Parts: sequence; structure tokens; C-alpha cells
Amino acid sequence: MKKKSFTMLLTALLTFSTLLAGCGGNNNNQASSAGGESTTKPVETEKAKEEVKVEGPTEIKIMLPLNTSETPPDTIKNELEKLTNTKLTYQFFPADTYEEKLNSSFATGSLPQVTYLKNQTTFIQMKEAIKDGQFWEIGTLLSEFPNLSKLKPEILNNTKVDGKLYTLYIGRPLARQGIIYRKDWADKLGLAAPANVDELFEMAKAFTEQDPDGNGKKDTTGIIDRNELTYGAFKTVSSWFGTPNTWGEKDGKLAPEFTFDEYFDTMDFFKKARDGGYINQDFAATSKTDAVNMFKAGKGGLYIGGSMQDIDSLNKDTIKNNPAAVLDAHSMVASPDGKYAQWMIPGYNNVVLFPKSAVKDEAELKKILTFFDQMMTPEVANLMYWGIEGTHYTVEDGKAKATDDKELIEREVKGYKDSVIGEAETNGMYENYNTLPGRIHADQLVLENVKVGVADPTAAMDSSTYTEKGVELQQIITDATYKYIYGQIDKAGFEKEVENWKSRGGEKIIEEYNALYKK
Amino acid sequence: MQEVTAQTSSAPQLQPKPEIYKSSSELKKRLWRNKWLYVMLTPGVLYFLIFKYLPMYGLIISFQDYKPYQGITGSDWVGMKHFSRLFTEPDFLNILVNTLVLFGLNILIYFPMPIILALMLNELQGTFFKRTFQTIFYLPHFLSLVIIVSISYVMVTMDGGIINELLVYFGFEPINFLLNPGWFRPMYIIQVIWREAGWGTIIYLASIAAIDPGLYEASRMDGAGRLRQVWHITLPAIRGVIITLFILKIGSVLDLGFEHVYLLLNSMNREVAEIIDTYVYTAGLRQGQFSYSTAIGFFKSIVGFVMVILVNKLSKKMGEEGVY
Repeated sequence: MKKKSFTMLLTALLTFSTLLAGCGGNNNNQASSAGGESTTKPVETEKAKEEVKVEGPTEIKIMLPLNTSETPPDTIKNELEKLTNTKLTYQFFPADTYEEKLNSSFATGSLPQVTYLKNQTTFIQMKEAIKDGQFWEIGTLLSEFPNLSKLKPEILNNTKVDGKLYTLYIGRPLARQGIIYRKDWADKLGLAAPANVDELFEMAKAFTEQDPDGNGKKDTTGIIDRNELTYGAFKTVSSWFGTPNTWGEKDGKLAPEFTFDEYFDTMDFFKKARDGGYINQDFAATSKTDAVNMFKAGKGGLYIGGSMQDIDSLNKDTIKNNPAAVLDAHSMVASPDGKYAQWMIPGYNNVVLFPKSAVKDEAELKKILTFFDQMMTPEVANLMYWGIEGTHYTVEDGKAKATDDKELIEREVKGYKDSVIGEAETNGMYENYNTLPGRIHADQLVLENVKVGVADPTAAMDSSTYTEKGVELQQIITDATYKYIYGQIDKAGFEKEVENWKSRGGEKIIEEYNALYKK
Repeated sequence: MQEVTAQTSSAPQLQPKPEIYKSSSELKKRLWRNKWLYVMLTPGVLYFLIFKYLPMYGLIISFQDYKPYQGITGSDWVGMKHFSRLFTEPDFLNILVNTLVLFGLNILIYFPMPIILALMLNELQGTFFKRTFQTIFYLPHFLSLVIIVSISYVMVTMDGGIINELLVYFGFEPINFLLNPGWFRPMYIIQVIWREAGWGTIIYLASIAAIDPGLYEASRMDGAGRLRQVWHITLPAIRGVIITLFILKIGSVLDLGFEHVYLLLNSMNREVAEIIDTYVYTAGLRQGQFSYSTAIGFFKSIVGFVMVILVNKLSKKMGEEGVY
């Protein structure tokens, strides 16, 4: 009796869980890609007009990640086809699962003619396949295309594999990072924007101790930081101290940044700030969302390391909480010996590849490159980046002002926006029209930053040990850095961790990079 | 698991189980007679075949240097390379110990909770109260871990978290919950209990409901009090369910849920918080080391498999049914 009812129970449970699993299994809402493709071949009009050879539109299949929830409608695509004389099939796949999609399409040989990757990491993973000759080299052809030739050589160099170019890049400003701070607090305490790292420290201290919000309580913190060394405050401040960008030259050889004295100076800066309470105490466990919320709530006055162009969104919510708040951007902070420096990203955030399995010959490749060459003209770039003039944006003072209907842009434009190659300087599209003074200042600073930019010398280099273990090994250094700042290990303890890093593969990475560096 | 389904398909049949079918015609007859049961069985069998057995093909890549563009057929075989990399990893022992400790906490502290809670709920008088409390207990299960960890963060942070504010108010030192390695495990298990204990009561309450009320009446006649009834009737009645769930739990010995630990993990508590799942993420997936990740997953499955067999044997020795 007991046994029977129990088995029944278990059966019921099993059935139920099967059902649940079934329901759970199909919520991967694949963006349907093959929606209404009519494969109409160009009509053969050769009999009628033999002397004039009519070129039909080029048919191009494109695969790319989608950062919104639904596939955009054909509004932009139809315009694009008219402008470029192409017949385009866009296959959008959700960005979250894009890597899997990429790998499975690759494994089955079904990559389309134009394949966008997802980010720099996927590009590093793809390098092996590129070396294996799976993709077309395009470096030799670029000179034939007037607009593609405008792409920045230094960024193209960063995307080369074994010295050859296979990709077109989607550009990003090289150095957007800096400080977003409460100018109203600074004014109230009579402080100017920090000109050097010492003044930065003093500002953090003053924001903590001198009651900048004037509520009579000691409830503010100078710097709001999060659990990220690279995109949090640490790397940006380390750059201001004069630390090289990830790798630097020491005694004629490349060495990792954490072997430089300036790295220790940066760690000491944060250690002092934390001991004094001038930075949020739990920053090593604080997520970006939480950090941003603290800043917006007026709990802190300095937000360092993020993109200065985020000032718009920070400002919007900060003035909701405190209408008197004024935000400003700042990035020129000198080192103790008076030098300026800003670390730079490789200047791209994604690349496009052309698989040999889909692009049959060089003639076809050139046709596809012609489409990208057209994408580098203002007309086409604006259409893809901003949308249709009058619908999605208006032109003010020669700049694009996006419509207030953010959902419309999200739905119709965003999907294409992320796929525009080059950057405004090279493809001639409109800059963003800004009204917030802090944002206008931030945009100027982004251009200023590059003038004192420091590149990562290994950006275009390839170390097989790094590809295999780099991320894992970096964790050792990241942990040690936090432990040093929190006072759990001293300088000797940190050195020991560096030795640990070296013995577990770091030494090999140094060798591999130096072998390439001397070339 | 399938065996269970297979077993139940013949459960409602009131016929003796013959040792061997004498002839194939008799077998056919039987099959035909129970055809609807077999039809009902098909979806379950198909599910396991498609979603549980077929993907095992992918384990092959843990013995290869898998390259996505060459596929499984084209990648090079490397034997046990990835397994030896895992076992020679300096942190491997530490990671394994952390995983086992968290698992131990799950078994010793979390596992009894739903049972205790179910017994308590069962003692409540009146369906209205029972229902209300049950619903309240279920709710946390539907919150995502991200939300739960965020709520905890806001409560325990040293930057204005309510708990530390209270500690300071009453004259204590603030405690660094988030970064102190000593607090990671308690936080983890408290969050697990808070989220899952209510949900876990469902199956126990269902099996308690199936107990014959006559037994309780009889025991009351004999003068048994509330606790006596629980001890002598309720608990023995659900013992089978407890053991079954326990074995299933053991099966997922190294599967603690990547997300939860990953959200609590930071540079300061890594020495106690890094578990196999989070290691797979940093060392394997983020670097695109598919073969290595698969090898680690494979190792996990083997450990789980061995544990289930052991515990099942053990429970049979104790005279209970196992899961198979």
C-alpha cells in the first residue's frame, strides 16, 4: 500500500518535472532569421540589352549579434538596400547565446558570407581558425576601396593576425575613461578639479570628511568604486600614476604592469583611501549596479574609471534624488612627477570576418567589400547608426539629435547601430548632439585623452600560453591586488604572488611576448 | 530514473510477475494489453534519450583538443591531457575541498530544513492558515538569485547596510560580511535555506497527506501526544521519501549552482568560495577552453554517479528502497 502510493507520487513528480523541463527548454527565443527571403534572381534582361550589362543587386547574407529583445523590422534594411544596390539577409541572434551560435555554425560549415563576432574575446578565440586559413585575407584589397582605406591603420594593426589583416573593425573611442564628479560639492568646498593624483586624494578626503551635502551628518564617501580593476577606478588611476598599459618596457624587455613601481604606488593610493574611509569599504564586493546607485543617491562624489559619456544617465537620476546636483567630467590628472597619461583600449569592440566556406572567390569578396565601402559613407553610416532622418533623429547644428522615443530606436535602429564599421571620424556619420554641459565636456576630454594615450604593446601580439591560461592567471594578480589594498598582504606577499603567477605560466607568457616584441 | 517510470507502468496491473515469458505470443499479448501504458511511457523515454543520453556524445571532446571549426570528427585526440591538467592544478585540492564543504553544509544544514518545516506546517490547524503560510514560504523560490544576493548585499554591506548600522548603534564593531572569508559559508547556506526551504516542503506535505488518518486516531486512543504522533507515525511514513530525495541530492554532490556562488565570490573570499563550477567558468569558458571545461564537467558527473551508487547500496542495506 505504502509502496504503491509512493511510486505513484514519484511518477507524478517525474512527469511534472519533465513537463517543467520541457517548458524551460524552449525559451531560447531564437530570432527567426529566414523570415521571408525571396530568392529572386536578377531578371535576365540580357536578350533585350546585350550591349549594356545590367548588374543585379549583390546578395549578401550577414550574421550578427543582437543586443535587444526582438529582431528589428525591415524599415532600415529596405532603405539600405536601395542605397547600396544589394539584397541583404540579416540573421540576428541574441547576444547572450551568440558565441554558441557562432561555434555551431562554424562546426557545420554554415557561416554566412559576412560574419560578425561578438567582442574581443571571441576574436582571440577565433585566431586559431584564422591562422588555419578559414577566412579571407582582406589587407591586400583595402587599397582598392577609397572609403575602407580611411580606416585607422593603428587600429587595423591591433586586429592583424600574424601580420595579416582579415577583419574590418567596429570602432570605439580609444580612451573614454575618466572621472565623473559632483561639481556642486567641489564648488561648495572650494575645490578645483583635481590636477594631479595628490589633489585627487585630497578631494576624496574632503568629500568624505567635510559634509559636502550639508546635511550635518558624516554620511558621504569620496570615491565610489566596484569589484573591477580594469573598468573600475584602479586601472585609470594606475595610468595617472604612470603605470604602463598592461605591459610595459623595463630594461629593454616587455614586463607585465604589476612588476612596475607605479603599480605599487597605485595600490598604496587605494590602500590609504580605504584605511581613511575615503572609498566605499566594500568596493571589492560591490557590483556596477550597486556602485552606480550609490553615486546616484548622493552617497559619493567621485565615480572613476567608467566611460565619461555615461554622465548623461548618471546626471538624469542624480538630479532626481537631489535637484541641486551638478555633475562634471574630468580626466587630466597628472602623475607625481607631472606627466599625463591615459590607457587606451585597442580601439575596436567587435570585428567582421569573411568565411571562405561562404565566399567562393575573390570577385564575390570584392562585391561584399564594396557594400562595406559604401557603409563608410556618411549617408549609409548615418542611416545605420542613427536611423531615418525625421523619424529616428533630427539634425541640429550639424549633429544628430535622437528622437525622445527611445523604444522606437531600440526596436528599429539598435540592431544595425552596433554593426557600423569604423567610427565617426572615418565614416563621416553625425556626432551626437548634446545639451548637458558635462557631456559636452566629456566628449572634448575623450578626444584630449588620446593625445596622451598609452597603448597596450601586446594588443596585436599572440601568446599561446596567454590564450590558454591568461584569464586564469590574471585572477592571481587581481586577488593579490585587492588583498594588498585591504592590508591582508604586504609588498613581500604581493611579490610572492607574482612569483606564483610566473611559475604557473606567466614566465612563458613573458617569453612569448618578448620573442615577438623584438621582431 | 527511467527504471522508476518503467516500474510504475506495471504497477497498477494486478498480475503476478512471471520469471520468463514462455512464448513470444504471450509477450505480445501482454504488450498489447498494456499498450496504453507504453504509449504513455514514450514521451518520458524520448525525453531522456534526446536530452540526457544524446548529449553524452559531447563528452568525447574532453579527450580531444576540440576546435569548433573542425568539429568532433576533425579535432586531435590528446588522451587524458585535460584531466591531468585538472589534477595537477595547484588550486585543485582547495577547490575540491571548498566544493565538498558547501555540499556538506547543504546536506547537514539545509536538507533537514524542509522536513522540519513540513512537520510544522502539518501541525497548523485549519486549512486557511496552512495555505497562507505555505504560499508565503514558497515565494522566495521564485526570486532569482541575483535579487537575493543583491538584497543581502544591501543589508550587510559596511557602506550603510542596515545590519552593520544596528551593530554600530548598539556599540559593536561593524562586521565585514562580504569580504571576510569566514562569513562566506554562513551567508551562502542562509540564502539557500531562505530561498529553497519552503519550496522543498511540497513533496513532504504531499506524502504526509497520504498517511491514513486512522493511524493518528488509533494513537490518540492510546494516549499519544502531538510529538509522539510525529515521531511514531508521520516520520516513519515519510521515511522512504526522505531517503529517496536524499539519494537524489547526493547525486548532485558537486553541482551547487554556479550562479549563486559566483555572485558571492570576490577576490577576498576566493580561498573558501572558489568551487568547481566557478573554476570552470574562469578557467574554461571565459577562455574558450571547451575541452578542459568538458573534462571538469565529466569528472563531476563521475563523482556524482559513484556517490549515488554508494548511497543507494547503503540505503538498501538499511532495508529501505533505493531509487532503483
